[in-house]
Amino acid sequence: MQIQVLFFGKLREIFHASQASLELPAKSMVEDLFRTCAASHPEFAEFRSSVVASRNREFVAWNTVLEPGDEVAFLPPVSGG
Amino acid sequence: MTSNPIPDLVLLVRDPIFADALARHVRHAHDGAVVTFDGCVRNHSHGRATLYLEYEAYESMALEKMKEIAASLHTLYAIDSVAIAHRLGRLEIGETSVFIAVSAPHRKAAFEACRHAIDTLKKNVPIWKKEFFEDGAVWADGELPPVPAATPAAKPAS
Repeated sequence: MQIQVLFFGKLREIFHASQASLELPAKSMVEDLFRTCAASHPEFAEFRSSVVASRNREFVAWNTVLEPGDEVAFLPPVSGG
Repeated sequence: MTSNPIPDLVLLVRDPIFADALARHVRHAHDGAVVTFDGCVRNHSHGRATLYLEYEAYESMALEKMKEIAASLHTLYAIDSVAIAHRLGRLEIGETSVFIAVSAPHRKAAFEACRHAIDTLKKNVPIWKKEFFEDGAVWADGELPPVPAATPAAKPAS
């Protein structure tokens, strides 16, 4: 299934992209998507404990099961204001 | 308040924030107080002189989260109306990065709601700030938003 991944802040700089479209097996979880991203950009693996995930613009747990067409982002600590 | 004659306003903008217009927007004849918060770009960070800042956002999600904050203020406090604007892009020292205005019949609710709004925004809204110095730039230390706990794996049917 196709998943849209968005990158912001420091992660956008690591991936040299603000978004990517990735092919994942059906029933993949947010955690699986993170591993897929870290496989292509090994330095991303270090961010596992310092990012949170969103799915379709809601914060979600790492074991959330993804659906085709989901929009997922790994969000660094926020610093608005 | 159950009556909310003025619609809340939630904005992400790339041009300077018109603070006065936002404060006027929330002001209604039966309000006794308008409390505003003006977050501005300071000229130093961790002992270093800041040259300027750049803000970026996950814009669609940030707007949704800002709307949720505005809605929650009506649930938590006896207020009338809320305006929240956050600026994106490059900001110079002294410019307003975020502005919040809350109106209420009485000042206590307006003060508390405005405080709650900025505190929640800083924790929960996907916006990031990069600080530029003479000798480089860093993404500001921020707060990791709270996420739902992992859902337990489904138990096999017995």
